[in-house]
Amino acid sequence: MKLSLSVSAAGFALLGACGVASAASVIAPADLVAPIADYKIYVAGEVDALVKATHDFTEAVKAGDLAKAQALYAPTRVHYERIEPVADQFSDLDKSIDVRADDFAAKEADPNFTGFHRIEYGLYAKKSTDALGPLADKLLADVTELQSRIQGLTLPPGKVVGGAAELVEEIAKTKISGEEDRYSRTDLWDFKANVDGARQIVSLLQPLTSKANAKLQTRLDDNFTKVEAILTKYSTAGDGFESYDALSKKDRTALRGPVTALAEDLSKLRGVLGVK
Amino acid sequence: MSEHDNRSGCPFAFAAAKPSRRGLLTGLAAFGGLTIDGSLSADAAVRPHRPIDAAASGRHRLRFHGRHQAGVVTPQQAHGMVVAFDVLATSRDELQEMFKRLTERIRFLMHGGTPEAIDPKFPPPDSGIVGPVIQPDDLSITASVGASLFDGRFGLAARKPRQLVAMAGFPNDSLQEELCHGDLMLQICASGADTVIHALRDIIKTTPDQLAVRWMQDGFLPVEPLSFGHAPAQPTPRNLLGFKDGTANLRSTDPELMDRHVWVKPGSDEPRWAAGGTYQVVRIIRQFVERWDRTPLQEQEGIIGRDKATGAPLGRSREHDDPAYASDPKGLRIPLDAHIRLANPRTTETASSLLLRRGYNYSRSVTASGQLDMGLLFVCFQADLESGFLAVQRRLNGEPLEEYINPVGGGYFFVLPGVATDAGYLADGLLTPQT
Repeated sequence: MKLSLSVSAAGFALLGACGVASAASVIAPADLVAPIADYKIYVAGEVDALVKATHDFTEAVKAGDLAKAQALYAPTRVHYERIEPVADQFSDLDKSIDVRADDFAAKEADPNFTGFHRIEYGLYAKKSTDALGPLADKLLADVTELQSRIQGLTLPPGKVVGGAAELVEEIAKTKISGEEDRYSRTDLWDFKANVDGARQIVSLLQPLTSKANAKLQTRLDDNFTKVEAILTKYSTAGDGFESYDALSKKDRTALRGPVTALAEDLSKLRGVLGVK
Repeated sequence: MSEHDNRSGCPFAFAAAKPSRRGLLTGLAAFGGLTIDGSLSADAAVRPHRPIDAAASGRHRLRFHGRHQAGVVTPQQAHGMVVAFDVLATSRDELQEMFKRLTERIRFLMHGGTPEAIDPKFPPPDSGIVGPVIQPDDLSITASVGASLFDGRFGLAARKPRQLVAMAGFPNDSLQEELCHGDLMLQICASGADTVIHALRDIIKTTPDQLAVRWMQDGFLPVEPLSFGHAPAQPTPRNLLGFKDGTANLRSTDPELMDRHVWVKPGSDEPRWAAGGTYQVVRIIRQFVERWDRTPLQEQEGIIGRDKATGAPLGRSREHDDPAYASDPKGLRIPLDAHIRLANPRTTETASSLLLRRGYNYSRSVTASGQLDMGLLFVCFQADLESGFLAVQRRLNGEPLEEYINPVGGGYFFVLPGVATDAGYLADGLLTPQT
């Protein structure tokens, strides 16, 4: 801790010397310990839920229960989408769990196309559980492996604080366009899960952010509220969401404003809290 | 700096292909002192095409303030882009905030300068793609509004320019919704393509919750960049069909001509705030260039009405010769349905349908069938949309050239009047009309 304090002080001195107008962060590195510990608990809870939900989902797939497997697809994924900035640190697992057909020249036909979206393709585009058994086994093995790797993972403050921005960038890049869950059209579940994951980080850091830059915190809250208000219009009973196709063009455009504003504001969060 | 050096070229490209000697001389005389946007400002009897600031590098600063916005009668820069936005504001106040922010960014970008320094822990406020110091580089950013801005959202319906509507397809159009219309249109032009992209990225970054990009198209001119009177007259640029395009365009150096045909005048039947603005038509017109290149030369020339090499009207010897339609009533020399003859029949009745073109060529990609996706980013300005573009396009409907072209996008917009002073902002007249 001593070391990081001195690094931080040196950084401030350097900035001062350059005459750069910037508020030095009023946040001490020690202030971040508690929110990061809380975030680890959140991540652990989500990955546990992911393993459990994937177990049920893959069991339905292997049992050939198409309706049940379809019903469990979206609610299983949300646990992954909420913690994506942590999960995607393991690029091998991220690829096998969450890759999309776009990443392969042969698209859906590529044998390396595995994971959620490959099963989604079977369940929704082919409307069948045929030949999905091995893919289901692989998915369950992968998320279980993810769970064990996360247990031993050290989360640097910058990764946690930056994770909120990462989730919103994910929304801006692929969730607004509805290209994530193209077969099932359950994109709004993922959209909301990314929002939840980002908001979780922002909430845990809120006392610090408010102290360092109260206006930024207010804007973040306002824009999260705007996004959630639009998503709520499309929510269904049991925490679910309507098909992405139900999203009106007007609302899709309206979502872009607060999402982009969140991306801009969250890109400043590391600087505001003085973490690398 | 070297990539910006030694810029020279035609200040009249596509906008006015026949520079007058006088225009060039006055341009020279005014070098270093005055403004370039054609506005009538108080500090001088300002005429178009005069740099207020030109470094030895050949870069110029176009004046932002004035009765009219820059980018209309401004000599045409080598690179241009049109970007249509959806406005995300949900109230009149938010709309006003957006226009104020936009004005502040355009003012800064056209003027150039050094972005604020910042703590390296934060993302840099500027993309940095033109280096640490932003040069003006002949940048103009011209803001116009679409008919949709006057829908129910902001209570502006009663202030809509009289002729502003969403562009409807013409018989030969294949309009794609994702390339059409928009609440706000920005036309961004500069001598360097990097300057255009820099400006776009700045505006997107500084208006995240105010503007959402709807579609965009960039383009280029096959001429050297602006010289503002330093270079000898340059030839009319050619379009991607290989023909000179813009020979008969209105001369943007002629303020009287511009007042008559381009600018909405005070006391017209347009809303009062609209004086000093102009109707802008944007059309993305794909050209089927492979097929065109497989068409016999005499057929190409008959379709256009000009000699391909010289640009002269068929049967005449020089580019700027009068086509003399009166001596060819049956179209034996220049077919009656030749493009130039339909576009501008040069009769008394059609004299009112003159418009100021300011288009660019574009090249995008290849189509699903492997053909080149390129064509003309058509842009024109006129005080009266009906007797301007619409009248011209109606005459062109069914022309033989249609076999080789296909408009796929664009829209109608109204260029906001200029911002007179530092205290003003774009659309202030629209949003807070004087009583």
